[in-house]
Amino acid sequence: MLEIKNLHVKTAEDENEILRGVDLTIPEGEVHAIMGPNGSGKSTLAYVIAGKEDYEVTEGDILWKGESLLEMAPEERAAAGLFLAFQYPVEIPGVATMTFLRTAVNALRKARGGEELDVAGFMRLAREKADALNVSQEMLKRPLNVGFSGGEKKRMEILQMALLEPSLCILDETDSGLDIDALRIVAEGVNALRGPERTICVITHYQRLLNYIVPDRVHVLSKGRIVESGGKELALELEKSGYAAYQDEAA
Amino acid sequence: MNYAVQSTETEAERALREHFDAIASELPGADDAAFAKLRSDAMARFAKLGLPHRRIEEWKYTDLKAAIKEAYPPAKDAAEPIDENDIYDVLGRGFDELLCYRIVVADGRLVPELSHIDGLGDRMEIRSLREAVADDDRRAWVVAELEGTLAPDNDPVVALNTALMSDGAVIRVAEGAEINRPIHVVFVTGATEPETVSLRNLIEVGVGARATILETYSTRRTPQVLRNSVTQVRVGAEARLAHIKLQNQAMPARDLATWMVRLHEGAQYRGFQFTIGSALSRNQIYLRFEEPGASAHLAGATMLWDEQHSDTTLYVDHAAPECTSRELFKYVLDDRARGVFQGKVSVKPGAQKTDGKQMAQGLLLGQFAEFDSKPELEIFADDVVCGHGSTSGQIDETQLFYLRARGLPEEVARAFLIQAFIGEALAEVENEEIREALRMMAAAWLSHSRA
Ligand SMILES: Nc1ncnc2c1ncn2[C@@H]1O[C@H](COP(=O)(O)OP(=O)(O)OP(=O)(O)O)[C@@H](O)[C@H]1O
Ligand SMILES: [Mg+2]
Repeated sequence: MLEIKNLHVKTAEDENEILRGVDLTIPEGEVHAIMGPNGSGKSTLAYVIAGKEDYEVTEGDILWKGESLLEMAPEERAAAGLFLAFQYPVEIPGVATMTFLRTAVNALRKARGGEELDVAGFMRLAREKADALNVSQEMLKRPLNVGFSGGEKKRMEILQMALLEPSLCILDETDSGLDIDALRIVAEGVNALRGPERTICVITHYQRLLNYIVPDRVHVLSKGRIVESGGKELALELEKSGYAAYQDEAA
Repeated sequence: MNYAVQSTETEAERALREHFDAIASELPGADDAAFAKLRSDAMARFAKLGLPHRRIEEWKYTDLKAAIKEAYPPAKDAAEPIDENDIYDVLGRGFDELLCYRIVVADGRLVPELSHIDGLGDRMEIRSLREAVADDDRRAWVVAELEGTLAPDNDPVVALNTALMSDGAVIRVAEGAEINRPIHVVFVTGATEPETVSLRNLIEVGVGARATILETYSTRRTPQVLRNSVTQVRVGAEARLAHIKLQNQAMPARDLATWMVRLHEGAQYRGFQFTIGSALSRNQIYLRFEEPGASAHLAGATMLWDEQHSDTTLYVDHAAPECTSRELFKYVLDDRARGVFQGKVSVKPGAQKTDGKQMAQGLLLGQFAEFDSKPELEIFADDVVCGHGSTSGQIDETQLFYLRARGLPEEVARAFLIQAFIGEALAEVENEEIREALRMMAAAWLSHSRA
């Protein structure tokens, strides 16, 4: 279970709070969606969960399986099962995609007390997962994310998620920039991971994604607070009425 | 000896002059009047100039007068000769197994027993400078090459080298010959006492020939060495040379290394320098396009820590039209290390269709590390494409976070990013075995500097 309790966050330099008391609980095995206007703090929430240093938590806590994540380094959080699919995956020139993937897979296997994969074993696994997500062998030969199209970057994120076997997945606008076929492929990739031991949080602007990945709950984040929660119908309502009502409320 | 001495002579400078007076009669070519004059003229120039200091523009960042307080005596033959095991230890993984022609110069003299230069036939000549100077048929050629250097007369480091040079490698690749194995020239210290080593290498690649030459500068015994080496290169028309220098001398060694490269019509030259050693090093490259249609790729990777100081200074002279030059120099600087890059590209009148691009980048790991970069373009032709750039920065935190979020421990993630940075320069080395050996060295440097 992921429990976010009264989370207040500001940037290291700035006094303005970006998150102003977020309360959110996602029980194990469930899929929740977070929606909300631009600039409401969705990515900030995702980054803070993953441990980005630009932000400062001034109050509250984030518990995963009962343990606070706040004092853990990003790699320790990854070892604890967390995976963040970035809204803007980072290009890293000079780092070979396959070398990076193998190092990450083995670092996590080792940290979680599992067996490391040898080169051949890893190659087999990577090929299989890449084929399922329509990630070409040619893409795997390039430096990490360098020169990838927006959609290719998102598919690479999902490939990493499939390889790293997380138990808590946060997908930050993974659907943005995807064409219709890619959206279906990515959604299938996420759904394949769905299961009683996986907790998933999808951040999205579009109800369309939720047709493919049907959420257990939908939350609205506005001006740094969860202002509404409901079933999957909430996404449909938002599609029609927009966020105007919540923005007034939160102000 | 009779010449003017600068008024501000330091003790070290005087000692260097006295060394010359003491050993001049034993140096190669001493019995040849032309050769002896070359040396004494050079010493007279050095006496007048002295060691370069920061008030001389080209030496602004690297003040040898201040840094060299003590002149070690000239290299003598080591009491205990270097053997195959020493070479093995010096070269390290990747290079010890490199299938190559090899020449070993210990201290100031070539060691024939450790040099593998058999079976060359008439495709190539490899011998020591000492031997070439003693050869009546070669001496005139050597003198002509030495007289026509690319360095200006007022380069004190080259003048000092000309006066004191005791040996080096002479490599001549015959016209049209394709030498597939690299030629590896290994310079080590075998002596246990501090020494000044002065080396001169002469390389000539004949018309249409191809070769790969690797120079390694290392220390086996004393690290208290002032090494001054000059390598003169001539690449003939349509010939190709890959030229690599590796310098991993222990501290507190000092390394002064000058390359002078002349390129003839359509020649292709790739020069690469890998610097991880020495407390202080200065790499000078003088390169001149003598004839049209030639190309030069110069690249370098420098990785420093502690208080190491390394300076790369280039003079690329586009004296002929339709030539291409590319430079990419990268520095990884930890602790209080200092990297210096000075790159001057000069396009002479009439050198139309010149295509020159230059980039220097510093990655600062240490809080007190410093990177000074001074690119300089001087263009006297109108139909040219020239550009230069320089960056200096720290590890990209966004990239670091991305890797760590995927489970890479911080140190591993940093190493990935540093290797990626330096890897772009290493990619300029075309020979796969040498490139991989250099990659291993870069990786070893990373674990070393972190320890
Ligand atoms: N590192 C930072 N420094 C300064 N301000 C920041 C930083 N990160 C986020 N902010 C600010 O915090 C607010 C929330 O940003 P965030 O990226 O979390 O929004 P979001 O809900 O993900 O928006 P979008 O839907 O556009 O992706 C914005 O006003 C943004 O400018
Ligand atoms: Mg966002």
